[in-house]
Amino acid sequence: MKTITTDKKIRLYLCLSVALLLPIDYTKFSHSTQKHQAACVTCHKIPTKDWTKTSSFPDITDYPSHDACVSCHRPQFFRSARPPICSVCHSKTSPRDDVRYAFRNPASKLQFAIEFPHDKHQDAIAMLRFAHPPQGYNNCTICHGPRTATFKAAPTDHGSCFNCHWKSQEPVAANCNGCHKLATTPYVLAEPARKSAKFVHDGGGEKKQHVAECTTCHINITKSASLRGLKPDVPITACTECHNKDGLRQDLSKELIAIDKNRGFTCVYCHAANVGNLDPPASHYLIAERPPLKRRDIK
Amino acid sequence: MRLAKFAILLMVTVVMGQQPPGQPTGVLRLRVRVKADDTAPLRGLARKRFFLIPGTLEQNRALITAIEQQPLTTRDCYYKQHHASAQLIAWLQEGDCESVYCRSIENEFVNGPKAVPEFANAFAANHSQFGNDLIALQWLTNYLSPDLRDGFYKDRQRTLETLLKQGQLGMIQSVMTDRNGTAYFTDLGPGTYVLSNVIPTELQQTLVTWNCEVQVKPGDLATEKPYLVSNRKDRLVKCVGVEKPKPVCAAD
Repeated sequence: MKTITTDKKIRLYLCLSVALLLPIDYTKFSHSTQKHQAACVTCHKIPTKDWTKTSSFPDITDYPSHDACVSCHRPQFFRSARPPICSVCHSKTSPRDDVRYAFRNPASKLQFAIEFPHDKHQDAIAMLRFAHPPQGYNNCTICHGPRTATFKAAPTDHGSCFNCHWKSQEPVAANCNGCHKLATTPYVLAEPARKSAKFVHDGGGEKKQHVAECTTCHINITKSASLRGLKPDVPITACTECHNKDGLRQDLSKELIAIDKNRGFTCVYCHAANVGNLDPPASHYLIAERPPLKRRDIK
Repeated sequence: MRLAKFAILLMVTVVMGQQPPGQPTGVLRLRVRVKADDTAPLRGLARKRFFLIPGTLEQNRALITAIEQQPLTTRDCYYKQHHASAQLIAWLQEGDCESVYCRSIENEFVNGPKAVPEFANAFAANHSQFGNDLIALQWLTNYLSPDLRDGFYKDRQRTLETLLKQGQLGMIQSVMTDRNGTAYFTDLGPGTYVLSNVIPTELQQTLVTWNCEVQVKPGDLATEKPYLVSNRKDRLVKCVGVEKPKPVCAAD
């Protein structure tokens, strides 16, 4: 049996003492705290009583009521004139002011990751379209509206979820954990890495040839069972069907030739400089029916 | 010193990010074109799932036999068995829908001569709760009975799960065709696969099953291998489906 040396014991006691003496920061709320991991409906009531004030559909639109906190944190509530714990929800900590941050507070880090199986949703709503023209086959746009001319937005509220998952169809609205999984550490949502920053979804000339079914280019979406590792997944062939076709256009080949002449050339037809200055991937050379090259090998 | 370490790390990350992945993989571009009957035009089979199962037909013999011998309830038969109204069945047929989620439910299907009784009842149930026409319409499917809402889909998923458990030679990929009948299997290693729709596809009067062997050769890697599938023989068709008449429905 292992024995703990006196030296190690002292160190252990010191660590424990420091941990116990450190004041708890009540201005921070974490769902990962053991006692905050009860069923979601313990604190969050759905729909919030006054949801009509801020939402067009029944939803959780505000922080839990005081009862949710006071049941355990009564001492912290009456600690001073401006109890730090109030600042979790309230932008002003004063008994005479009940103004709260927007729910959820956009300045706080995300504590939950979203679980969303694209494949199942494709199965269910793949043909979702209106009974009358315009016949919209782009069922993805139910959730992914336009964000900029180039990129689509990810859903930011429960609007499109509750159309089907309000009740009966699991995960239902009251089963938050069905979609919201506690993340290992709080995080800030990163923007997806963009490769073809100049692509315009509604573009493609006068005929708007880019307006196609989403899965025509995003070819892996119908097999994605979760959001983890999900990439935009647009293969170069989706672009070069038109942009590098004999007798039509040679947009890709022209830029590869430009690199042959000047290895510092920046590919600009599709890319911004951050990508356009890199070595073109092997897939691009394959389309142009040429062996791949590295810029450093070009004299 | 710390800055130098960071710079080196950054350089390594950028360089590694540009290197091609170790193993080249292939892409199978599936195109599915069918004739609903002899007089109908050849068209892309939209919105159907296809599976790529590792192994040869022989290695997957048990699975193929199970696929060929499975008793299948057709869509219309399922809804009849679950006492769906004639209007609901017609609404599903009109959009070639397998479930109520496949097309938007508009006002005219709740009120008036084209109303579907199940939709009208679900609308009323929601309306009595929130008193809002728009929410009642948008959230309508929440108030349908489970059998009519997603029972058919769940039945099919159970069948799929049971069948695919028999294909045990590796990871099975599944993709859905777009409106032109095109889909892509990506990240394929060299080897032999079975392309199958597992659950027969319903055409007008028939059910079609595809079970064909596909070879992905080292020479196919890093390229897109076209693969044409149909229920009619043709020079370019690599996989011809087996057609059977739809089974008689006990609810008829």
